[in-house]
Amino acid sequence: MAIRVIVRLTPAKPKAGEEFRLQAVAQHPNEPGTRRDERGNLVPAKYINLVEVYFEGEKVAEARPGPSTSANPLYGFKFKAEKPGTFTVRLKDTSGDTGEGTVKLELA
Amino acid sequence: MNRRAFLKATGVALGAAALSGIPVRAQALEGEDLANLEKALKEALGKGFKDLTPSNLVKLTMPAIAESGANVPAEVEVNLPSAQVKAIHLFADKNPTPRLASFMPMKALPYYATRVRLAETSAIRAVVETADGKLLLASASTRVTVGGCG
Repeated sequence: MAIRVIVRLTPAKPKAGEEFRLQAVAQHPNEPGTRRDERGNLVPAKYINLVEVYFEGEKVAEARPGPSTSANPLYGFKFKAEKPGTFTVRLKDTSGDTGEGTVKLELA
Repeated sequence: MNRRAFLKATGVALGAAALSGIPVRAQALEGEDLANLEKALKEALGKGFKDLTPSNLVKLTMPAIAESGANVPAEVEVNLPSAQVKAIHLFADKNPTPRLASFMPMKALPYYATRVRLAETSAIRAVVETADGKLLLASASTRVTVGGCG
């Protein structure tokens, strides 16, 4: 099952040389493996443990979240705007599911 | 209260404070659990708490009170050039798995934001690995009313 990822930039159109934020929000339960369902059974751990950010195919940042990330997590990064291009955020969880979201960087 | 009684009372109180000589110590954080944190630090970095240098170059932003431990925003910003920051790690002393996340800013600025789960009221640590092998620390504390791991 693919993980849905939404990526957005703030400001949406930064000027060249300006810092901007890239935020990725994923649709994922991020089970830490410590929670119980209504029957009292442990819910097995299943969480996103790899977040990679690519710009024009080049890897520009990587995060390795642990089990204690909230459900439907947000990951925020900051970059300096240099040239226009496409950011791709790739996620992978402990069960091997992956997700991908893209956003275009246009300069103001 | 007449003047004499008042002077006597306040004088005694002030004298007592001066005599007891309360040592001026760094404020202990709410929800510290150094033993639990130490294990996670060793696992993630191979270093212990004593190897960390508190630094005001690291800015960790956490809410003072979180309504729900299931979703607590965390934000770290390092006041150093990107090239000098090898990795940023986040820990929560009281969590069953204290390491919350690690971030490698390769071409990104040394900034990371995410939302984490906290089991209970806990001290939160941001540990920054610099390129020259230093470990910088910033701490905060978040009070949790409902845990996010149960």
